[in-house]
Amino acid sequence: MSAEVRDVFKLSRDWLSVQEVVDTVSSSSCGAISVFIGTTREDQVDGRKVVGLEYEAYESMVQSELTKLCADIRTRWPSVRHVCIHHRLGWVSVGEASVIMAISSPHRHEGQQAVQYCISQLKANAPIWKKWLVVTV
Amino acid sequence: MTVTVLFFAKSAELAGLKEEELVAVPTPISSKDLWGLLLRKHPRLLVLEGQVVLAVRQQYVAICDQVLTLADGDEVAVVPPLSGG
Repeated sequence: MSAEVRDVFKLSRDWLSVQEVVDTVSSSSCGAISVFIGTTREDQVDGRKVVGLEYEAYESMVQSELTKLCADIRTRWPSVRHVCIHHRLGWVSVGEASVIMAISSPHRHEGQQAVQYCISQLKANAPIWKKWLVVTV
Repeated sequence: MTVTVLFFAKSAELAGLKEEELVAVPTPISSKDLWGLLLRKHPRLLVLEGQVVLAVRQQYVAICDQVLTLADGDEVAVVPPLSGG
């Protein structure tokens, strides 16, 4: 039986595909794929309406930070099989997905916990920044 | 030492650029003194005082008395508060 595990990261200027992220982690040894999708919310900033976001990143360091994050996840939840994280760069309109992550695991409990941890840690440690595009309401 | 400084987000807006070479940087140097060199070149960065960290060779470094050993060609990034995800 193969013990190969995958950690796959992508920064993309195009809209993200949930199917692609899910397909990247699926495995016949896993009974669960846990998914988180972060979407761009319509919001108000200083009385002005948010119509979109622009993301920028320190791309090479995003890679190294996500690599460390995956190692951390695998230490905490050793049964996790594959991890895939896709994040947008550039302009993202309200309603679109900014980040999609999927984690496969034999059973759902560890995958669900790992994916919650994964998004929290990405927000805390990945060198990515957003800027709001606003219009006056 | 000559290091490459990368500016991101608000720090790029304030400095007016995304990348520059910083020459004659002493080594070893504290992260606080390195930040001081950047402030002298780009005084508008002062607005971010207390809110930024640096990343040296892709490792986060707080602005404090921590001593850094820099090598020619090292990458130093100015990191405003993160907002990914």
